[in-house]
Amino acid sequence: MTWTIVVGVKQVPDADEVGIDPDTGRLDRANAPAVMNPPDRNALEAALELRDTVGGSVLVITMGPPNATIVLEEAIAMGCDDAVLVSDRAFAGSDTWPTSLTLARAAETLEADVVLCGEETTDSSTGQVPPGIAAHNGWAQLTYAEELEPQPDEGRLVARRDVEGGYELVAAQLPVVVAVAYGEFDPRPAGLHRKIFAENDFEPREWTAADLDIEDEVGLDVSPTAVGTMETVEPVERRSELVDSVNALLEPLEETEVVG
Amino acid sequence: MTELDTSEYADVWVFVEVHDDVMPVSWELLAEAKTLTAKTGDDLVALVIGEDVDGIAEEALARGADRVLVADDPVFEPYRADPYGAQFRAMVEARKPSIVLIGGTHTGRDFAGRVAVPTHAGLTADVTEIDVDDEGILQARRPAFGGDILATIVCEDHRPQMATIRPGVFEAADPNYACETTLEGSIERVEVVVDEADCISEVLERVVDATADITEAERIVAVGAGIEGDLEPALELAEALDAELAATRAVVDEGWVDGARQVGQTGKTVRPDLYVAVGISGAIQHVEGMNKSETVIAINDDPNAPIFDHADYGIVGDLFDVCPQLTELVQERGILEVAR
Repeated sequence: MTWTIVVGVKQVPDADEVGIDPDTGRLDRANAPAVMNPPDRNALEAALELRDTVGGSVLVITMGPPNATIVLEEAIAMGCDDAVLVSDRAFAGSDTWPTSLTLARAAETLEADVVLCGEETTDSSTGQVPPGIAAHNGWAQLTYAEELEPQPDEGRLVARRDVEGGYELVAAQLPVVVAVAYGEFDPRPAGLHRKIFAENDFEPREWTAADLDIEDEVGLDVSPTAVGTMETVEPVERRSELVDSVNALLEPLEETEVVG
Repeated sequence: MTELDTSEYADVWVFVEVHDDVMPVSWELLAEAKTLTAKTGDDLVALVIGEDVDGIAEEALARGADRVLVADDPVFEPYRADPYGAQFRAMVEARKPSIVLIGGTHTGRDFAGRVAVPTHAGLTADVTEIDVDDEGILQARRPAFGGDILATIVCEDHRPQMATIRPGVFEAADPNYACETTLEGSIERVEVVVDEADCISEVLERVVDATADITEAERIVAVGAGIEGDLEPALELAEALDAELAATRAVVDEGWVDGARQVGQTGKTVRPDLYVAVGISGAIQHVEGMNKSETVIAINDDPNAPIFDHADYGIVGDLFDVCPQLTELVQERGILEVAR
């Protein structure tokens, strides 16, 4: 009994390259280069390790514009078997509710046994999509997973979950959605031949909202949340005084009544 | 989509997160939610799910809840997303809360993401400020774009309006609130709709030490990637100062320090009298969580490190020299006790 393992990835603005718009003083995300959401690499590695152990295939999906294909190519280069681009203007304005619905339907269509995602995306940092996928499908969920132990004979996946102050081992029945803890599962490098294939010959499957039969259930209209106002955060005033000896640090420690 | 009659929804619920003890963030939410119900006239309702949680329900009343809803059953111990999700959904459908606040712990985020979907609720993550407008619409403010911008997220047409709130941002509710205000709340046990046979997950083992609560610390020594895996100098300084150890995300991701001690976006907000930043570059995501510190001292060998802009006093130097020297000086002087 092999597993169909689906990984959701996302293209995000490169957080290290987000500049300040000189005219508005606002962060300029539009001109930052788009990269794969870094936590997704950990999810891809976790998926490939599961495939190494259990057997089966790793399928990658992303929701995004046509040029998001590039993150799918990266995943194929790492060793994933196939990829799907879910792309449609109807998705514009989707918050985490329709986003997780879309990925849930795609995972169902692909007959996933396990869905893996990164812990959160660096552009919106909600971490809400993996449990959202599980909830839409009524599947089990394992978030903040640091280690995975597949138990294919029992149709279960056991995860070591990072929780405040420790960990827990949780067994979930398949199908299950896993959010991999950021920084765990060190991603393998792409093989040269696989990379050449991914960049030159590979074409992902392409699905629209209609292909998933959700064209009326996505986009701005069904998104419960909306961004109201945006305010620039005023920096907290600090003295920013540089001292030239360790001794001089005693003075502020006296002032704050730390030392006598 | 059928329009939802939002006027049918009332009250502010706070999810009380129970693992043996109550997570401190739950009591922080209870206190802050009072500011919302004071404006809307709604009841403040504590939601206690677990096994043998009568004492916790009483405590929620003592800390100022108008009402407590209790779902008490062995199926709820320890926490699992699927039974909690099913129970919560049934309660929301029957009772229609307008606002639900959940602590932004790993469990809280796991729970919130699960339960927002079937109720088609609006869910905002990692919120640091809450308010309501005249129509009772929750104004959930959260840092965006790495923290330079505060975005207000609203949910006008869907209910409940849900948010996960970052731990440590608000002061905890007074355990004697009800005595001082002669408030008398009620505890109601709700029907448990979940059966163990229907559960699709099982907790095999749970290993949790007493969790460090850095949000209450008066003095903090925080370490960044500059420590290069060697905690010793910072730990000795922390001991000399009677301070709690904290860390940046990079340090936590390396596994050098436990995640409960992470300060900043996706970690905790702290408000100590003294914050000593050791080998921390000063990324905005971290600074955001330490902004409320009274006095900030930075130790870093890079004179251009942004942390110096966010510090009151800075010293440019190798932390492996500066920390032991400062530790020694402090030990010679003797510290004053932390006023608690």
